[in-house]
Amino acid sequence: MKLADYSQNLGVRVSTIQVFAFLLLAALGVRLYYLQVVRGEYFSDKAENQRIRVIRVPAPRGAIFDRNGKLLVDSRSTYNITLTREPIKGINPVERIDVYADGLGLDRQYLTELLTWIKKQPEFETAVIKKTASIEDITWVEAHQLEYPELRVELQPQRVYPLGTSMAHVLGYVGEISPKQLLTPEFEKFRAGDIIGKGGLEQYYDETLRGSAGYRRVVVDSRGRVIDEIESVPPQAGQDLYTTIDLDLQVAAEEQLANSSTKRGTIIAMDPNNGEILAMASAPTFDPNAFVLHSSTPEGRKQINEYQNNANRPLLNRAIQGRYPPGSTWKIPMSVSGFQQDLITEENNSILCGGGITIGAKHTRCMGNHGMAPLRYAITKSCDGYYYRLGIKMGIDGLTKMVEEFGYDKPSGIDLPNEKTPRTPKYFRAAKEKAYGRWIDIESVFASIGQVTVEATPISMLRAVSSVASNGKLYVPHLLKEFKAMGAVGIKGELNYLPEKAAFGFQHPEPKEIKMTEKQHQIIVDGMKGAVAGGTAKKAAIGGFVIAGKTGTAQVAALGLDKGKNKDHAWFVSFAPADKPEIAIIGLIENSGFGGDNAAPAVRGVYQAYIAKRGLVGLDTQTLAVK
Amino acid sequence: MVAINIEKRTFRDFDWLLAILAIGIVCFGVTQIYNAQPEMTTWQKQIGGLFIALIAMLIVSFTDYRRFVDSAPLFYGIGLFLLIIVLIPGIGTKINGQRCWIDLGFIRFQPSEFVKIPVVLMLAKYFGNRKIGVLKFKEIGIGIAILAAPIALILLEPDAGQAITYFPLLIVVLFLSSIKIRWVLLTIVAAIIFTPILFWVGVETGKIKQYQLQRIYVIIDPESADPKGFGYHTIQSMISVGKGGLTGSVGETELSQSSLKFLPEPQTDFIFAVTAENTGFIGCVSLLLAYALLLSRLVAGARESSDRTGVIVIMAITGELAFQIFMNMGMVLGFLPVIGVPLPLMSAGLSAILSTFIAIGFVISVRMRRFVN
Repeated sequence: MKLADYSQNLGVRVSTIQVFAFLLLAALGVRLYYLQVVRGEYFSDKAENQRIRVIRVPAPRGAIFDRNGKLLVDSRSTYNITLTREPIKGINPVERIDVYADGLGLDRQYLTELLTWIKKQPEFETAVIKKTASIEDITWVEAHQLEYPELRVELQPQRVYPLGTSMAHVLGYVGEISPKQLLTPEFEKFRAGDIIGKGGLEQYYDETLRGSAGYRRVVVDSRGRVIDEIESVPPQAGQDLYTTIDLDLQVAAEEQLANSSTKRGTIIAMDPNNGEILAMASAPTFDPNAFVLHSSTPEGRKQINEYQNNANRPLLNRAIQGRYPPGSTWKIPMSVSGFQQDLITEENNSILCGGGITIGAKHTRCMGNHGMAPLRYAITKSCDGYYYRLGIKMGIDGLTKMVEEFGYDKPSGIDLPNEKTPRTPKYFRAAKEKAYGRWIDIESVFASIGQVTVEATPISMLRAVSSVASNGKLYVPHLLKEFKAMGAVGIKGELNYLPEKAAFGFQHPEPKEIKMTEKQHQIIVDGMKGAVAGGTAKKAAIGGFVIAGKTGTAQVAALGLDKGKNKDHAWFVSFAPADKPEIAIIGLIENSGFGGDNAAPAVRGVYQAYIAKRGLVGLDTQTLAVK
Repeated sequence: MVAINIEKRTFRDFDWLLAILAIGIVCFGVTQIYNAQPEMTTWQKQIGGLFIALIAMLIVSFTDYRRFVDSAPLFYGIGLFLLIIVLIPGIGTKINGQRCWIDLGFIRFQPSEFVKIPVVLMLAKYFGNRKIGVLKFKEIGIGIAILAAPIALILLEPDAGQAITYFPLLIVVLFLSSIKIRWVLLTIVAAIIFTPILFWVGVETGKIKQYQLQRIYVIIDPESADPKGFGYHTIQSMISVGKGGLTGSVGETELSQSSLKFLPEPQTDFIFAVTAENTGFIGCVSLLLAYALLLSRLVAGARESSDRTGVIVIMAITGELAFQIFMNMGMVLGFLPVIGVPLPLMSAGLSAILSTFIAIGFVISVRMRRFVN
């Protein structure tokens, strides 16, 4: 042994280390024996009885307010009953239909669909089986925990629309993400049962309203009971939305529609100086609560079915999704384009009415005979003959130019989903030229008074006329006033940290410039003032408050057939005070007849609500000062 | 500078048994890494790491260890330099709050794993040539100084787990360098008396932080300690080990503790828990026996060493490996605190496997030169 060469006990010391190392290993062996052999069964049971489950903690959705801070939409806490596939993976879930239907008072048809769906899902999939569970439901689930471990009670913030049917089209509603949406890349990170905005502001600003969900990682036993919490990440609530809507004006607009003859139509009020929507009513309407609360109950499903199949289409937001011939309201953008295309001038803007026009063998008449009418007079009296001839002068190229100038070939860009683009001569040109070999004059005649090849959305008409009110600024209408800031969640630097969300308002694009001279502008405004003062829109007049307006009576069916269901659409588009506009309002009452008799009084009602808020006195002196 | 001179005799003297034993343990480890993370490529990376480590081992074993010992100050200096630059943000990569990695893009390594080797060489250089006789206080002081520099730098990362694995190096070297047995006994007695006193003082003065206290309480009584917090890892680790039973629960990877994410870092620090769950008591004891055989082989090498330097190199490595095995398994088996010490040859990680094989290379190198030329 060479070790002896160096120190008499080096060998002993090496051996000591070796023995010590073996003792350590032996200690490990003894401990292993204890854990695996002596207590192996105990730990096996423990392992068997624990599973990790991730429970989502939904973020409270941002509330929605009107411009003055009045609450429009809120969330409250409710309980959902959820069903997890995993505890019943051994059986066909459809076998439990009767149990669930009796215990929770659920519709069998609904359960069949849900359970058939969940049968095909992976083990840990969870679905909401009943929303806004009652105390009885919760008790039933708790009491049957042992028999039906797949059912659980979960806290869920619930969307509430306290105004009911009011403003429903603007607000939209929320609901569970659809299986189809889940397959799209946009919703990649979502799971079945997630709540998203559907329609209206809820959909358009969904991401900001939604916030970020948190989660809890918990250990559950084999019966699904939470025994431990491993990790808890709090959610970040969505940001509160302040809309540009003035609830008082909104309610006034809705009342006017409710009191109209057909109870179908729309009224929109907008600030012409920046595009803020002050009111947007569409009738008939619906109750968004039906979608949120009742989609799992038979009555709720019936109600939703009714909405979807109703011939009057209550789910349609007529303001942005309805397309109607605009009739004579179309004459306002026509007039502006007449000047722009040098077909009429400030000095010489008279065109013959002639009581109508004869093209070939066909005579198209005017409502009267206005002689050699100046533009101002033609607007006041809504002279068709004047515009027939202006339309022919413009031709299809001039009409197309006008369509493009006022943005009728695009959506207005309002911050609501599914806006429809108007249809115009530009849109129909190809089809008409194919049918007749060329664009024929009679099409220009019809188009000049907003008929046949013109189907405009009310929002596009209001926007175009507002550009006259604002002296040539074509703003993008919008409903977002401001999103309020939301504080940070978590600790900075950590993985789950959610930084603060800053407040922000509508990102205004530069308004498009509609060129017109001061004089041209004045002629058109004077014509519109005349219409309200003593022309076609007399029924809109309010003493001491100067409104500039234009009626429209859009033909739905040929003359003689325009009765009952096929009566004309009544339009009235306006702004006020005429010389320093603060508000622009459009009204459309479907199939109600003459615009001056049906739409003008409805719009007048909204102006009255506006004056009641704002006060007439200030207005009076202001209008006087301008004069 | 490294001359590789392979002759027939070298082949005969090469410690095949030791090399094969080490490779065998790594291969067993790879199967357990696969069990821990079947969906990831960790196990493939470990095989790649094994090949790199084998090449390093061959280079070291065919080089005379005395050359390395002669250049020990150089290696020691390089080691300290790496430990310093790893602390610089931008060079050192921070993972889980510890800045202990240098990321070269294609590879990421942990200097604190490698610096053990220069420390061993440095200790061997100093204590290998000392004259016969009782260890002087000055010598002990120099030994402590050699160890203190890297430990201080590693504690700055901070990586207490790695720092702790440096202590056995010095303890073994001092023990072999004829430290008086009465000093050894005195230290042990002092530790037995003062540890509880220091613990009590620490708790009373608040020097021991609440989370550190929790980790200690968990060991004393894991069942009633806070199971969500610090007790969680210990309890889950014990459940995994216990679940393995006598023969293990092979073939149930979908329901295993690690694949259900009950175990933290199942491929590195808790690889033994995975092994225990999958192979049971039989597998674990076999592994313990393999380690015992490996350690015996190392000690045998030390006994045949031609000089004192060789003894010190091998025994320091032996002590360090034994200590790491004990610390890691003790943590997995729930009687030592949860502290980040990898299990040698089993845990996934290139740095760890490479430094262990380099150490084995030294042992083989010493053994091959057992006959004085």
